[in-house]
Amino acid sequence: MKEYLLDEPLTEGFLEFLERFGTVRRLEQLKKPYFSFEKEHFISIRGFLGDPAVEVRYRKIAADLVADYFHLLLYYEREGEPGIAKLQGIGDAIGEKIRIRLGTPGHDPS
Amino acid sequence: MDKQPPLIYLNNAATSWPKPPEVLAEVAACLRAPVYEAGRTTGTGTTDYPAATRAALAEFFHAGPPEHFVFSANATDALNLLIHGFAKQNPSPFHVVTTELEHNSVLRPLKALEQEGRIALSIVPFRDGRVDPAVIRNSLRPETRLVVMSHGSNVLGSVQEVKPVAEYLAANDIFFIIDGAQAAGHIPVDCTDIPAGAYVFTGHKALFGIPGTGGFFISDPGAVAITRQGGTGTDSRSHAQPADMPARFETGTPNYPGIASLLAGIRFIRSTGMDAIRRREMALTQQFTRLLKRTRGITLYNEAPDLPVISFNIGSIGNDEAGFILAKAYNVITRTGLHCAPLVHERIDGGKGCIRASLSFFNTEGEVEAATTAVREVAAGADR
Repeated sequence: MKEYLLDEPLTEGFLEFLERFGTVRRLEQLKKPYFSFEKEHFISIRGFLGDPAVEVRYRKIAADLVADYFHLLLYYEREGEPGIAKLQGIGDAIGEKIRIRLGTPGHDPS
Repeated sequence: MDKQPPLIYLNNAATSWPKPPEVLAEVAACLRAPVYEAGRTTGTGTTDYPAATRAALAEFFHAGPPEHFVFSANATDALNLLIHGFAKQNPSPFHVVTTELEHNSVLRPLKALEQEGRIALSIVPFRDGRVDPAVIRNSLRPETRLVVMSHGSNVLGSVQEVKPVAEYLAANDIFFIIDGAQAAGHIPVDCTDIPAGAYVFTGHKALFGIPGTGGFFISDPGAVAITRQGGTGTDSRSHAQPADMPARFETGTPNYPGIASLLAGIRFIRSTGMDAIRRREMALTQQFTRLLKRTRGITLYNEAPDLPVISFNIGSIGNDEAGFILAKAYNVITRTGLHCAPLVHERIDGGKGCIRASLSFFNTEGEVEAATTAVREVAAGADR
């Protein structure tokens, strides 16, 4: 698990972008509107709308791959629709690498 | 970004915070001069902290001699030393009884011995947060040599009836180890009145010491084998670990600042008064449970805990997520998950874990009000 401090607070637009890649859950009636994003066996992100800090969770064995993917999410969000298509392809490739690592003998799947 | 609300620390069952100013002052005083302990230095100091703290512990727990109080890194370290030392001292295999309420510091050493074939292990159930002493009695076999039981549950906050268990086991020559990590400092413990083989305490929870401290009282040191060897500051010519106390179980340089903190913590409790501390803690606990009881979407796992420990879950939100929201949005610090007590959770929440709020003498009514308001807001938000 790692906490990231972004340059800008999280926006609703970023959540709508995330919805193209996994499951986004919102709890909007709280003191601060909360969200979580999950791409199963890959990455989960959670934080609050309007806050620049997010918590990213991942399997230790895939830390480097997940960090790359997270930065790519932030990068491609700015491109809009063209970014989504590119990131979907990249995401599939990263996901496959993670699956290989998790399935490799000697690696702890937990 | 909104200004962060004031910190509300409700994780005292993990480690207490804040510490009394007297504790911090004593740690600083300990470190300002070279440490002094007879046998380990030619220097002279004002306080032999290990000796002074053993004397304070003997008075606090109404037991002695002081040399039968052994320092360890924490309660887990003490339990490992006792459990493995007892196993080494007794021919295998033998039978051990423990309970579903136990922390992994009890369960894991026992499971390891069971897997090695050195013991047969029985784990007895609890009901309404308590283990019935009769259930312990009924689980004993002719080959039972050891019972290990917690005094206070770190999840349900229930205090166990260890005295009748201790009396029966003592009469039947069965060694009884009590894990007092959650009890000592919250409730009076009289080791003369509870005839256990060993009573384990931790220094950094309700005794207000700093992390890295703990220990145990043992009535008959010969019941537990020596499992560690090293420097003791005495009898250096001998290659054998001294058998006398406390060197029998203590090796290497002691954690002097930690021991100093434990001394100051005990003095703080004595000067404040155990009764006063208990009254305040339980008043806050009752305020907390009263404010959450019968709140839609909140499940309390013990509505009347004996210790300032309140475990609960919030509706459809996972406990990890709920704890994250409480911490980040409300600055309310709790603990989530299985709390190193997996068997309790299999019984109370299907093994999913829960949120635990644990209070101390230093929490306030205002903090309890703010924390419970936060919990209710999260529950209401999750409900929509």
